[in-house]
Amino acid sequence: MNKKMFSVLMSTVMAAGLAVSAYAAPADSESVKKAADEGWEIAVVPKDSTNPWFVRMKTGVDQFASETGVDCYQVDTGTIDAVAQAQQVKDLIAQGVDAICVVPVDIESMDSALKEAKDAGIVVIAHEGASLENVDYDIEAFSNEGYGAFIMQNLAEAMGEEGVYTTMVASLTNGSHNEWADAGVAYQKEHYPNMTLLEEMPRVESNDNGDDAYNKAKELIKAYPDLKGIMGTSSFDAPGVARAIQELGLTDQFFTSGTGMPADNAELLKSGVVKSLTLWDPAIAGEAMVDLACKVLAGEAIEAPVNLDVDGYTEMNWREGSETVLEGQGWITIDAENVDSFGF
Amino acid sequence: MRGRIKKLFRSNEPYIFLIIIVLGIVIQIRSGQFFTGNNIVDLLSALIVPGLFAIGEFLALIAGGIDVSFPALASLSAYATTKFLLDREYGGNVLLAFVIAIAIGAVLGAVNGLFIGYLNLNAMIVTLGTSSIFKGIMQGTLRANQLAVIPAGMKSFGITPFISAYNAKNGLTSVLPFTFLILVAVCALMFFILRYTIFGRGIYAIGGNPISAHAAGFHVKRTKFIMYIMIGMIASASGICRVCMMQQCHPTNMLGMEMNIIAGVVLGGVALTGGAGTLTGCMLGTFLIIMVQNSMILLGIPTTWSSVFVGAVIVIGVAISAYQANHQGVGSHQHKSNAKKEAVS
Repeated sequence: MNKKMFSVLMSTVMAAGLAVSAYAAPADSESVKKAADEGWEIAVVPKDSTNPWFVRMKTGVDQFASETGVDCYQVDTGTIDAVAQAQQVKDLIAQGVDAICVVPVDIESMDSALKEAKDAGIVVIAHEGASLENVDYDIEAFSNEGYGAFIMQNLAEAMGEEGVYTTMVASLTNGSHNEWADAGVAYQKEHYPNMTLLEEMPRVESNDNGDDAYNKAKELIKAYPDLKGIMGTSSFDAPGVARAIQELGLTDQFFTSGTGMPADNAELLKSGVVKSLTLWDPAIAGEAMVDLACKVLAGEAIEAPVNLDVDGYTEMNWREGSETVLEGQGWITIDAENVDSFGF
Repeated sequence: MRGRIKKLFRSNEPYIFLIIIVLGIVIQIRSGQFFTGNNIVDLLSALIVPGLFAIGEFLALIAGGIDVSFPALASLSAYATTKFLLDREYGGNVLLAFVIAIAIGAVLGAVNGLFIGYLNLNAMIVTLGTSSIFKGIMQGTLRANQLAVIPAGMKSFGITPFISAYNAKNGLTSVLPFTFLILVAVCALMFFILRYTIFGRGIYAIGGNPISAHAAGFHVKRTKFIMYIMIGMIASASGICRVCMMQQCHPTNMLGMEMNIIAGVVLGGVALTGGAGTLTGCMLGTFLIIMVQNSMILLGIPTTWSSVFVGAVIVIGVAISAYQANHQGVGSHQHKSNAKKEAVS
């Protein structure tokens, strides 16, 4: 898909989203009304509640609660910690909530905790955890292939579609990040013959830590003089790499793109160290999870295309070969021009 | 003179130093990029925050205690300070940030000191508890989230180069910010305090044997109390350094650092049982860990194996330190009794 087609498609999707949302707000949905009437309790468990990403998700969940009257809230998880997160889910089971929406830190440790939830009859909705087994449904803002390709398009454009690059993920055990990186690499191989993946070090870890991303980038740049770009996935990757680019004096010679929050990166984008970042809106993802939880609790049949009543999630389709993973079209790109227009 | 050399090789420092040099040569051979100005600058700049934490941990261990609360303490005081200055649209220099953070750090450290010193509770349990409390205050009470913009004074302090190293071969310029001077200053100050003050001698004496330290006339409780206040102050200064260098404040960024810091200090020959160890060893051990962590890619170790490799260096290093301590126990005991003797005199 070339850029023009892509932008046409995107604006169509966004326009469609707007059109739909004009008359399909969550508050009008039958299942959401029922959830509010029955007083069902829906808890959202983020990875790291201090991370601006999940702070933003909380605003979505809170907005859903105030607009619809549904008893939904986001749990304060504190710092990113797989063990603590699994424990938090167990605490919610003990509290007897009706549904748990979770963005897992680690697939394996979360899966066993979610099994207990399912056994207790609790509805489980996940986000960014497509390989979880013990869930009713997992929703993804988009297909991982689609988003990975989307990041690669942004990186390739910055790099002039040529040169050596590598990929960065929060950790090698992170589900979605690695799928994006794989998809980005696959997309590059298909569309950008003049770009090559750094075979000696095809993937590095940032531990979801801006300082680690910065140090890793500096080390990569020293070790591999030919390297020209890093494809980031976590929201700390590209900003951390950008700090290295800035310090080493490599603006316009070394490039990065990846997920990033607008307000946090406004300065980087405007200074030109980073050309563009990619994103979806975690607030809307949070609303979509709660909306789907309401539907499942209300006993509504979940059949594709599923309409979760929020922008970018109005035509959710099954991931190929899956009966639990739903994918939308919720990606967006941010650059120097539009960075101030998001309001977060 | 001979006795001096013998004593030197009985301690850990020369071995750690040797390992650093050997590892450096290996990295140099693998990548050609170790002994370059910009790489050394990169490593020194990565050492600043962990180095400051290590000095605090070193004090706690020497006194026979331990501190696992310093990352949370530093996060809380750095976040509260940055947020406070931002809310007041503070435009002055970085000094005020340090003053506020260090003051908060002193108060938080005093909480540790009160429980560990005056109430004589187990340092591990107390600091585990206060760590949760500090995190709780930060995330619950203050609703901490990432601050993308920091006050101008902190910003410029974090990037203004103290030394900048240009590598002509690859055209890279690495910057060592002025925060490095904070590390040097704290190091020098602690060296002086430990060597030339009664208080510093007391820290060693308490770690060797609190009862005889008391008998020798040291104020055991007061010394511990003041020491944990100092640890809090050092950790908070470190927190501000991190915020300045990162050019933003991410409240959970430092959490989880405690284990590698403790490993580095122990690697440097500081006894977990207290009373023995040197500041030089502490800094060398910490530098070794930083060096290993930041050389995995230069060494060409695949990402899948890098944590195994870092872990292996820690285990082997600490094992060697422990072996040294056991088999030359005479040396370390002598050290302790020396400290006591001097304390008495």
